[in-house]
Amino acid sequence: MEEDDVFDSVTWDTPADVRNNDTHTPLGQGTPVGLGFRLPSESDTGPRDPNEPKWEGYLVTAVQDPVKELAETKDTYVSYLVSAKTNLSHFTNKNPSARRRYQDFRFLRENIAKDFPACVVPPLPEKHRMEYITGDRFSAEFIERRRQDLALFLERIGRHPVLQRATLVQAFFESTEWSVKMHQHIAHPPGPEPSPSLLDNLSDSILNAFARVRKPDERFLEMRENVDKFEEGIQGVDRLWMRSKTRVNDLTSDYHDLAVAVQGLGFLESGITDPLNHFSNTLLEFSSIMRNCNDNTTEPFLNHLHSLLQYSHTNRAVLKLRDQKQLDFEELSAYLSSVVEERDRLAAIVSGRAGSSGLGLGSYIRDRVDALRGADDDRSRVEKMRKLDIKIKELQDAVTTAHDTSDAFSDQTLSEQAVFQHAKEAEMKTMLTNLADGQIAAYKESMQEWDRIIPILQRIRVDV
Amino acid sequence: MDDVDDINPFSSDAGSPIIAANLSLDEDLSPPDTPVNAPARLSSPGPTPPAKRPLPLSSSSSRQQPPKTDFCCTRDQWLHSGDDVEILVTGAQKTSDNSKTPYIAYIIQTGHVETRRRYSEFESLRNSLVKLYPTLIIPPIPSKQPISDYAVKQAKAKEDANLISRRKRMLHTFLNRMARHPILSNEHVFHRFLQSDVSWTEVLHSPPISTLPKNILKAPAHAPTDTTSAQVYAALPNPSAAQPLRHPDARFLESEIFTDKFANHVSGPMEKVTRRVMKRWAEYSHDHADLGAAINGFSLNESGALAASLEKTGQAIDTGYLSTSALLQEMESTWAEPLHEYSQFSSIIKKLLMYRHQKHVQYEMTQDGIESKREQLQTLERNEQEAQRLEGALSGSTIRPSRSTNSGTNGSGSDENPETREQDDAEVPPYSPPPPPARRGPPAMGFLHALSYTLHGMMDVDPETARRNSITKTRETLSQLEDALQASAQDLKYASSTIQADLDRFQRQKVADLREMAISMARSHRDWCKKNLEAWEEVKRETSKIEDHPNRLPLNEPASAPVSEPTTGRPT
Repeated sequence: MEEDDVFDSVTWDTPADVRNNDTHTPLGQGTPVGLGFRLPSESDTGPRDPNEPKWEGYLVTAVQDPVKELAETKDTYVSYLVSAKTNLSHFTNKNPSARRRYQDFRFLRENIAKDFPACVVPPLPEKHRMEYITGDRFSAEFIERRRQDLALFLERIGRHPVLQRATLVQAFFESTEWSVKMHQHIAHPPGPEPSPSLLDNLSDSILNAFARVRKPDERFLEMRENVDKFEEGIQGVDRLWMRSKTRVNDLTSDYHDLAVAVQGLGFLESGITDPLNHFSNTLLEFSSIMRNCNDNTTEPFLNHLHSLLQYSHTNRAVLKLRDQKQLDFEELSAYLSSVVEERDRLAAIVSGRAGSSGLGLGSYIRDRVDALRGADDDRSRVEKMRKLDIKIKELQDAVTTAHDTSDAFSDQTLSEQAVFQHAKEAEMKTMLTNLADGQIAAYKESMQEWDRIIPILQRIRVDV
Repeated sequence: MDDVDDINPFSSDAGSPIIAANLSLDEDLSPPDTPVNAPARLSSPGPTPPAKRPLPLSSSSSRQQPPKTDFCCTRDQWLHSGDDVEILVTGAQKTSDNSKTPYIAYIIQTGHVETRRRYSEFESLRNSLVKLYPTLIIPPIPSKQPISDYAVKQAKAKEDANLISRRKRMLHTFLNRMARHPILSNEHVFHRFLQSDVSWTEVLHSPPISTLPKNILKAPAHAPTDTTSAQVYAALPNPSAAQPLRHPDARFLESEIFTDKFANHVSGPMEKVTRRVMKRWAEYSHDHADLGAAINGFSLNESGALAASLEKTGQAIDTGYLSTSALLQEMESTWAEPLHEYSQFSSIIKKLLMYRHQKHVQYEMTQDGIESKREQLQTLERNEQEAQRLEGALSGSTIRPSRSTNSGTNGSGSDENPETREQDDAEVPPYSPPPPPARRGPPAMGFLHALSYTLHGMMDVDPETARRNSITKTRETLSQLEDALQASAQDLKYASSTIQADLDRFQRQKVADLREMAISMARSHRDWCKKNLEAWEEVKRETSKIEDHPNRLPLNEPASAPVSEPTTGRPT
């Protein structure tokens, strides 16, 4: 039908074909691994790839030195020294630093998330996550734990090529009048990036939330699948590791008991009391090394793993939002085509009543009913067509916008995936390195301990 | 009567440690198998059982003794060949030889000789040895499987591989402890156990095992099968274990207290905590198996250097699983099993000390018996003298039957018979010997006794003879008891010194074993650390290959606070 042709010119079929080519070619070529990307679309065309994230400079951040402010009052809070090293041009200082409290981090995150809806904005630690466990919001453990989480948050921001350049981030590190900046930001939200701000105006979608994307894009399907697998993997590993952590804790107390029992044996065996006491000490030492390793290596590792899972959740949310945008566009297109169809039907009736032949029983009956009502004069039909034409015009604009939005969002998402992949690899590297370091230290230490005791035991005089 | 004058069997050989060795010399029925003439070959390790416990005792005991020359059989010769000999339990085989139902036979390799014995044969060997050597610490064999295991696993329990390998290890330990024992290694019964062509049933039904007395307390401590003194020992009382001693030996009292403490500590805290540790390691190893699989699966989702690092991490966790399984096995065989063995040892020693205690009680009871018999004899003799004096005074007068009655009842409650008492008042001196404590019965018994004697006296045609007989008998018993006392004293002396000597030997063995246990424990833990350390170093090498994030300081930038600050490092 001819309406379909009209519609086709508006839809994304043509660009989609191009994109399909994009996705297929690299699979055949074999993926270059230099950049460590999994997504084929990023790795094929080298530096020219529009989805390949580009960093304009570095922003290496740190959160240190928590200080309890306004102690002994009900407004007590903890401030942290946030600092950075950067070569980004819009920073006035190469080594900016400032004191910020948790609320400021919160403000930063909320506003960045608002300004950059297509970006994966890292999550913040929940407000009182540990408080219930430690019982005190100002306990050293809680503050240290939060400091680590906040540091991770800033590190993720710094690693994001778009977010690291956000003016609010710069203010967060540099501004001496942060509270003023906060108010300004709320009053006059900057239009930072052109594409994300464009995306905002279509949020009032006409869709039902349960609709599914009609033409799922292979690339995003794969991404979703990857994210799912990744999260599943993390959850599985996390669960098992937690179990093993508890087991190690139990083991440490068992070894403690064993040490006590050996010491008791030493009291009985007066001839070898001394070596047995040494042996008992080694068992105790082993127990405490294992406990330390559990507390200082396994625990942070699991925390980081947890945090990475949260980060991945926000990534997934962005992927979902992209689907939503595509859905917007698809639903609008469908609506447009139905309106166009209606107009064409009317046009056919007006232009010579015989046209109803191909329009099916439904339209025929509607015409009959209209005729009985006496409303089937051509004048009203023409009026209706005119209204429909206006609507079609509006809709075509909306469809175009939705299409652009969807496309822009898709591109941004591809870039985001690459960014996330980078971040993920870097974080996993840190995690695994710290884990390996901790394990190596613990095993080395206990090996020394066991090595130390063997000659002592060998010196026990035996005369059988 | 003849027994009384017998030469005391102890006089010749009591106190000598190697007594029993020659007891069974005449029993060398087994034809010697292949002559053992290649000692170098013998000491070579050969096929060793998988997790063999090093026995610290090795060879030292035989070295201290002068080289033995009078071998009773080839096994004896092999055992004392002067080399570090080791009996091996090379395998376990399911078989049904000489039995209707299938059973597990353990293959014992003694030099060139291979013997198959089943668990019950080990058990009967040990039980026989316990009776043959009541004063020695006979090493334990693995305890019988708890009945609950049979109930749960039913027929399969017998074939349980774990059980069999544990038994193999512990039987190996048992055999070598026997082989290294200075006395037990000379026992021909043990040699025949190791002999391949000897039917164990036959050994069990031939001397010395067949001649073992029913009650080893009524047999000489140094040679329970020696029947020459059976009658002397038959006179000994049968003491109860609970009876306290009047003059306990301070050293053994101490030994008893120590053994109790040791037994409580080993089977209490030591074994319990060990079991808990082992259980936890088993769970730990299981967790790591799961975790390793999960991480390896996780690595499949990633690519490049990250995937390789994750894979290595998975492998490190797998190493954790494997090394922990190995650690667990080593702990089982070098820590948990010896501990259990020592828990068994302590109850064996408790029994040994109990035996000595009973021997001591026996000695004291015999002393008491002699005391009371002597008093009885004194009374009888006094009566006899009195009677003769009266007889002399009233020569030719009629004999009053009541006199003999009186003499018969003497010492067993004469107050119960007022009738006779009235008549005797004049003749019998007021002195009335106190009844011996052991024989004092309730009054009713005394009355019956008296009555029976009265009847006896009435029927007795010749009370004079009866009285004389009674004196003779008492004398006889007394001399028997005196012999028994001497035997008992010798026995106690022998038991005390032998037990003490074996306890001393045991204490040295224990120190050596504890040393070995602790060293093995330390070694296996160190190996465990080493394996894991290597695996994690591998992880570290692999993770360093992951590319750094593009957002980083230029390389020439001096590393300062923000860089060195790890996001989730150890708290400083």
